[in-house]
Amino acid sequence: MTAPTAARSFPVVETAVLRVAVAGNPNSGKSTLINSLAGTRLHVGNWPGVTVEKKEAALEHRGQRIALIDLPGTYSLSPYTEEEIIARDFLVHDRPDIIVDVVDATNLERNLYLTLQLLELGIPVIVALNIYDEAEKKGYKIDVKAMEAALGVTVVPTVATRKTGMNDLLEAVTGAIAKGSRSLPRSQSYGEDIEAAVKMLTAGIVDRHPALVERYPRRWLALKLMEGDRRVLAEANISGVDSLMKDAVGHLREAHGEDLESLMADARYSLAAGLTREVLQRPSVRKTEMTEKIDRVVLNRFLGIPIFFAAMWFVFKMTFDLSAPFADWLDGAINGPLTRWIEASTNLLHGPDWLVSLMTKGVIAGVGSVLVFVPVIFAMMFFITFLEGSGYMARAAFVMDRAMHSMGLHGKSFIPMILGFGCNVPAQSGTVLWSLYVMGIVLAVLMGILFKRTLFRGESPMFIMELPPYRMPSGRSLAIHTWEKGKHFLIKAGTYILAVSVLVWFLLNLPWGVENKKDSYLGKVGSAIAPVFAPLGFGNWEASSSLIAGVIAKEIVVGTMGEIYVRETEKKPEGPAPTFFEDLREIGTSFASAGREAFTNVISTVGITSLKAEEKEEEATLRSVVAKSFTPLSAYAFMAFVLLYMPCVVAAAAFKHEFGTWKWFGVAFVYQTILAWSVAFIVYQGGKLFGIGG
Amino acid sequence: MNLAMLKPGEKGRIAKMGAIGPLRRRLMDMGVLVGEEITVEKVAPLGDPIEITVKNYNLSLRKKEAEGILLEDPK
Repeated sequence: MTAPTAARSFPVVETAVLRVAVAGNPNSGKSTLINSLAGTRLHVGNWPGVTVEKKEAALEHRGQRIALIDLPGTYSLSPYTEEEIIARDFLVHDRPDIIVDVVDATNLERNLYLTLQLLELGIPVIVALNIYDEAEKKGYKIDVKAMEAALGVTVVPTVATRKTGMNDLLEAVTGAIAKGSRSLPRSQSYGEDIEAAVKMLTAGIVDRHPALVERYPRRWLALKLMEGDRRVLAEANISGVDSLMKDAVGHLREAHGEDLESLMADARYSLAAGLTREVLQRPSVRKTEMTEKIDRVVLNRFLGIPIFFAAMWFVFKMTFDLSAPFADWLDGAINGPLTRWIEASTNLLHGPDWLVSLMTKGVIAGVGSVLVFVPVIFAMMFFITFLEGSGYMARAAFVMDRAMHSMGLHGKSFIPMILGFGCNVPAQSGTVLWSLYVMGIVLAVLMGILFKRTLFRGESPMFIMELPPYRMPSGRSLAIHTWEKGKHFLIKAGTYILAVSVLVWFLLNLPWGVENKKDSYLGKVGSAIAPVFAPLGFGNWEASSSLIAGVIAKEIVVGTMGEIYVRETEKKPEGPAPTFFEDLREIGTSFASAGREAFTNVISTVGITSLKAEEKEEEATLRSVVAKSFTPLSAYAFMAFVLLYMPCVVAAAAFKHEFGTWKWFGVAFVYQTILAWSVAFIVYQGGKLFGIGG
Repeated sequence: MNLAMLKPGEKGRIAKMGAIGPLRRRLMDMGVLVGEEITVEKVAPLGDPIEITVKNYNLSLRKKEAEGILLEDPK
């Protein structure tokens, strides 16, 4: 973190930028609120050193410049989760001028628990009482005036999804600086015992640790010391048995036991409960809500899992329907005109042959495989955003957690797994491979259980998750999140893919001037590991080299095999090259037809027609290439292996994105490679046993 | 008597929080406190985790965690 700018008074100069931190519970509509306030001015990055998203935006209201900083959604400011540590470090050390606390009006008590902790910081707070429409619909009556009086802060009812109350909120924010220190919230009383201890601790700290007072808000520091907050104790270099601590909290420990952390949680929650009783009137008769009705079906003992698979199938089908025509279009444009243009311009500049080859077969091929993923990734991100925003994602994690957990994974791991599946999307459309995939899933569960029992017996991540009410995500936030996620993801994945593509090109063309691909570095590595694949029926160097190259994306396996098998002599006969303008026109018309195709695809899926078994160009290529040195059986084993072996670079990026470490990718990597090997082994050896192919 | 022993639709009042460390704090921060009334809503199709209602909202947790949440004996 940066040097503390503590003890800063409110800016009197009008032109100074007002730093507004936006805090709130997960599912409080915080990110929708930020989107509504910021619109396109939103900048998404990461908090330093972690993968937690950091959103910022620069706004202006009535001539006042405002810098919005979105804090991670948290339930509390405890020292345990990454999100909470980020949020509180920012609040304590960077001291924003104002905190906007987004409170879910339908879930007041639990949201106020965080509000109370924000009030402890001695920073002006404005409460955005969000999802106000839903609370009204439920028949909740919230006395906003009473809430303001009790908390001593401005409370603004908002409906972020409809942009209601946004102007009032900005008015309240700018109004708060005008009021200066009068806008500081009243400190809440946690009861005589605790307050007496806080008083003693505060006095003691000022007396004995003056340096600390510079760095932390006093009341907050005292409360954290009392809770035994390990981060603050360590930073402040105070031990829990310090004489000051003994004097101040001794009687509390006597009365309530050693566990003052739960005493504080109790104190805050009883205050939050009291406040809620004061300001909120619930209808006496509770209606059965929509969410309950949906959950009765979606989480049903018998229907839950089929519904999950149906939902996933729908997502895949729609993703594929929407993106495949555009992916084909991009593929065509890159391999045809773009490659020709690059070749021509490199030749024009008298570039050496190797440069032409590096550009077309290394860089363009690499960039090309990134670009081909663009439609797939955006379509998939759209559906994932929708599932998350609607509340179904939490249900899916709930339904699947047991299965994932038995594999040593968190219930949410199915998200990167879905993305990993996305690796296969451009390469496979044929229904033949579905059989392998289903077999893969069954084996995955069995092997996962075995793994859990043997290799990874450690703790799996905790699973304490809110099941938020179902909500229709607004089109606006869907668009923003899809765009942000897709962009973020592609930049990351794209970097890896490009790097790996260029690396593979070098491996395939070094040592310099290598004639036979078998003598290239890739060929040598391929030859070395080929025996591993012998029991699977494809123990040749060509196949194993291609598999190595396939870490970029699975269809590269095909491309590499093509490049290895198709020797220099086999040049494709070419007609006269089309002109630049002919190329451009062709790109334009094929884009339009891709759009039409995507549209009809979607219509046909919604109309539930059966999967079209389309003979794709790549598959045809694969088939013709493979026929040269494979038997039908070993080819099937090879395809099984390609389908199931390690997740590609895109999946690797997805795992990193979701979990923040490479560890889970490592697990998946080892695991899927072994899985693929086993399946291919069973296919090949089993097939031979039954006398097929051989 | 612990939370994992309740069937869907059954209620109980928390008597003691057995979990320790981050897990315990996490549960407390989410309103799972001694004295709180908890209803078990559903059990996931594969038998774990469970869904509970606490403080008027829905929360899911694994049975292993629920076992650490002790309930008052029903009177």
